[in-house]
Parts: sequence; structure tokens; C-alpha cells
Amino acid sequence: MPAFDVANRIRDALDDIKAADLDDPRLMEVLSLAENLVETMKIFFGSIDHSVIDEFQHIAQYINRTREEIAALRPNDIHGSRIPTAGAELEAVVGDTERATENIMTLAEDIMAADASDPVAYKEKVDNAMMQMIEACSFQDITGQRVSKVVATLSHIEERVSRFAEVMGVLDAESEETDKEKWQNENLLNGPQLDGPATGQEAIDALFDGETSEAALGQDDIDNLFD
Amino acid sequence: MAVDMNMPVLVVDDYKTMCRIMRNLLKQLGFSNVDEAADGAEALQKMQSGKDFGLVISDWNMEPMTGYELLKQVRSDEKLKGTPFIMITAESKTENVIAAKRAGVNNYIVKPFNAATLKAKMSSVLGSF
Repeated sequence: MPAFDVANRIRDALDDIKAADLDDPRLMEVLSLAENLVETMKIFFGSIDHSVIDEFQHIAQYINRTREEIAALRPNDIHGSRIPTAGAELEAVVGDTERATENIMTLAEDIMAADASDPVAYKEKVDNAMMQMIEACSFQDITGQRVSKVVATLSHIEERVSRFAEVMGVLDAESEETDKEKWQNENLLNGPQLDGPATGQEAIDALFDGETSEAALGQDDIDNLFD
Repeated sequence: MAVDMNMPVLVVDDYKTMCRIMRNLLKQLGFSNVDEAADGAEALQKMQSGKDFGLVISDWNMEPMTGYELLKQVRSDEKLKGTPFIMITAESKTENVIAAKRAGVNNYIVKPFNAATLKAKMSSVLGSF
């Protein structure tokens, strides 16, 4: 029962006692004090109750909304199905490209090692090998489809996570690097850039040939060496 | 001075396919004495075991020891410091190229590359062949 209602019931009880026309002045004095106390409590608890109730209602609404947004994320679907499938697709891409490269290189090595003294037999061997190389190149179509599925999964996750972060007003927390991540960031390069090499072979050649000095590469580049 | 086409060449790369490509390219260029290592640590062990490699061609990105760390270790080893060293990487940020040059790399090749580029860089390091 809210404190506000309790205060009302106590005040009603006091009114009943006073209406009973009791003669003891000390009792009337106590009742008067009690009435003042109840009035004070009523005001106090009334204000507390409303603010607490409002706060709890706000929290309850927020929890409900969060649950709905988390449900909209479909975390079980992402964790149990989409991510494992995407991982399997990428592993398959690596496997497909590795097998195709292996096939093509083996065929190329066979041709290079082939006896060319019999032109007819040599041509037949080369033709067969070339046809198998062309067949091996069909991996590109399959891997393209696999990569498209992975891209679709990433888009799906990105869209839902972004919406969740926006609706919930989530800000990025500071992240801590593991020891392995720290070592990798300090020692390994990031791999191929999307728009081709950051510094082309010609610029590198010029640097090694002495045609370009380190200073000509820009202060930022030099600064990065000491950062 | 003529280049010794029988000299041992050490290819350092953690991708077996890349090692195989390098072995074929080197064979095409006339170098058949090719050895392989999967990372800097294995390469350094091979180099310190006594085999006198005439050239090291190394990738940068390898664990646990990178090609850059291998380069620094080679250049600080009294017996190995004169070994010609070519770095090959898929990434070529200027600061990385400069860092490798300062550490003593003889040349730097950006992936993907072809036999002509490899021959040109090897020639600049070893002399014409």
C-alpha cells in the first residue's frame, strides 16, 4: 500500500477518535500532535511516492523498450545462425581459392617441365592443361556468391546494431587492447589497402634509387616514424 | 662480378602458396637453390645454422617474428649483416618503407608483382644477371 494511502487511513482513524468526544485533555493533545504528524507525513510521503513511482515507471518503460529493441536485434539468430554461416562461407572462400591456385600452379609447373621434343604430344598436353586452368578459374563465380552472402550478413548486423545504438542512445565505451592485439598493432601491417598500395612501386624505387629523399615524402610520413 | 646462380636463396613467407610462387619465379629467373621459412624466427635459425644464403626475400607480416624484426636481427648479427635482403609486402605505407630502409633493407617490392619486377630488384641488389 502506498504511504500516501496509509497517511489518509491514519487521518481517518484520528477523525473517528476525535468524533468519539473523549474527555481526557492529554489524549486530545496526543491526538492533535498525531494529526499534525500525519499531515506532515502525508505531504512528505506523497511527494516521495510520486517521484519514486514516476521514476520506477520510467525505468520499467525503459526496460520494456530495451527488451523490445534487443528482440528486434534477433541476437539468437545472429549468434546461432548468421555469424556461423558467414564464417563458414569465408572459410569456404579461402578453401576454394587455395584449391584453384594449387590446381593452376600444378598445371603450369607440369607444362614448364613437359618434354617439347614431340610438338604434337606437347601441344595436346598444353591444350589439356589450359582447359583445366580455365575450368579451375570458375572458382571466381562461386567465391563471388559466397562473399556476397557474407556482405549481406554484415549489412544486416550493421543495420540492426546501428538502430539499437541510436534508439538506446548508446555511446562507444573505451576498449582495451589484449596483449596479442597490441603486439599485432605495433608489429604487423594492415594488409592490402582497398585503393591499391599507399606508396606505389615507382615511388619506392625512387626512394631506393636516391631520386627522392625521405624529406620529399612529407613531414607527416617522417613524423609517423617517431610517433 | 657475375651473380652466382647456384647461391642459396631464402624465401620467408607464412603462406605456402606464396613460397611456391616465389620458388617458381626464382626458378624461371635461373635460381634453383631455394630454401623456405614460415616466419622470421625459422629464417633466422636457418641463417644461423651455417648455410650461407646469398639473398633473403621476406614478407613483412608474419608471426611470431615479422620480416621487419628478422631484418633488424640480421643487420645486428656480425656474421649475417651483409646478407642482401629484399622485403615484399602487400601494404606499402611510406613510413613502413622508410623504416625498412633505415633498418638496412636493400630493396622493397609491393605485392602483387611479376617476374620482371622481381628480376629488376634482384639485379639492383646482386648485380645484373
